[in-house]
Amino acid sequence: VYQVFESVAKKYDIMNDSMTLGIHRVWKDILMHKMNPSPGTLLLDVAGGTGDIAFRFINYVRSIRERQLQQKLRHHQNLSWQEISESYQEDKLNSLGDSQVVVCDINKEMLKVGKQKAQHLGYSQGLSWVLGNAEELPFDDDKFDVYTIAFGIRNVTRIDLALEEAYRVLKPGGRFLCLEFSHVSNPLLSRLYDLYSFQVIPVLGEVIAGDWKSYQYLVESIRRFPPQEELKAMIEDAGFFKVDYQNLNMGIVAIHSGFKL
Amino acid sequence: VRCQLPPPQRALQTSAVLRRVSDEQKEPFASSSQQRFDSHPTSHQPGQEPQGPHPSYTGQGGQESEDYESEEQLQHRILTAALEFVPEHGWTAEAIAEGAKTLGLSVAAAGMFHSDGSELILHFVSQCNVKLSELLEEEQKLVQLGEAEKKPTDQFLRDAVEARLRMLIPYIEKWPQALSILLLPRNIPSSLNLLTSMIDEIWHYAGDQSTDFNWYTRRAVLTGIYNTTELVMMQDSSPDFEDTWRFLENRVADAMNMRDTANQVQSTGEAVLQGLMGAAVTVSS
Repeated sequence: VYQVFESVAKKYDIMNDSMTLGIHRVWKDILMHKMNPSPGTLLLDVAGGTGDIAFRFINYVRSIRERQLQQKLRHHQNLSWQEISESYQEDKLNSLGDSQVVVCDINKEMLKVGKQKAQHLGYSQGLSWVLGNAEELPFDDDKFDVYTIAFGIRNVTRIDLALEEAYRVLKPGGRFLCLEFSHVSNPLLSRLYDLYSFQVIPVLGEVIAGDWKSYQYLVESIRRFPPQEELKAMIEDAGFFKVDYQNLNMGIVAIHSGFKL
Repeated sequence: VRCQLPPPQRALQTSAVLRRVSDEQKEPFASSSQQRFDSHPTSHQPGQEPQGPHPSYTGQGGQESEDYESEEQLQHRILTAALEFVPEHGWTAEAIAEGAKTLGLSVAAAGMFHSDGSELILHFVSQCNVKLSELLEEEQKLVQLGEAEKKPTDQFLRDAVEARLRMLIPYIEKWPQALSILLLPRNIPSSLNLLTSMIDEIWHYAGDQSTDFNWYTRRAVLTGIYNTTELVMMQDSSPDFEDTWRFLENRVADAMNMRDTANQVQSTGEAVLQGLMGAAVTVSS
């Protein structure tokens, strides 16, 4: 798995866009909407290499925070100039409202690409990059509010271990969210999807990234991955409650959610 | 394979948050949450087990262990805790998140609920209805024990509606927002259900023996009175809402008059009919 992603890291984002025709952005946005994080949330994004989820999280929290501050100002109509200037200062320093995201990935190259992207796009506050293995996270118990793993869990050898680790590092009441390719039950769509996956994607891999094998591996790993209900059962086994899933694009992708209660 | 897991096994997994039910006994609220969003209006069953065939989507086959509270009970606890934050944050996921925080849970727990705060509002309405029922039950007991006079119907209705509406006062600034959310198509079945069962409760305790109002008319009339009074209350700025209570008094009086008028119309109608019959008989013979 490590070597696959080493070669894939640099072209990861471009490949994502071309393979999914850009829809992966929508999927990730939907994930963020579902999470609906409030300012002050501590997020752990596992296998989050190039930072897509992390950046979206920061944007989301920032805009919620802005709205909160605007509402607060509206209620305090009788502030003196001194107080107003102080509150603007506070805004600048605290635009994220103490929210933080830790991006954890097993692969150094992916993290490197992520850090470069962050610098390039101007994300500096509230971001940490940690090298780590999903099956054995380098974090203490009960630390995070939300744990996400977007398109990463199918690359984990022991999914049950990763789920147990997720349970361990989440605070009580914390949420587990998993965005992953899943099973299409509609037979017609399934045929088209298979066709696209096996014929088009490796070709794109060769053309854009110069790597047929990795993308063949990708497509095969998607097929091997447990379908929605099975993954839901595995999540419940790890101890999560209120486990549920939402199919996107008729099952091509699914978001699984569970709570540590 | 999952469903064959015996219930005790699930209990042995130390749940991080779900408390043992024995702890629950100290909390009076948990056992009195009788009004379910989609249950039929029934009479009280104090101490009813809140765990029921809840449409749980966790696929555990309803095999929650009897020793631990169910997720639903935990959700109720969170929503109750969230109510105190409503005046500040409105009926939103933020209020729910704050409520979860006070229980020692992560703010992410608010993700269990819909982001528009529907469940919070429905929970509140349900709680108010329960409180109203308890109030009316108390009053009835006093009357039965002879310690209080039985009120005339119009007085009873006025007091019941006023008592129920007064429960909105701490949240009145954000209540219009709540009303609009209750009207969303998704919420209408539940909110309508809660409304009608509350109205039925009031009539049940009013103990109106008169049979001239048929059941649907009574329901409709009181629902109309309640809804219009609620709307008036939203934009009432008089001290202690006296304008609202006066409005209420007038509406109830109207309803009583309508009943008398209806009687009059009915008897007049009968008289007219008899007259016509008589005339017909006279003419034919």
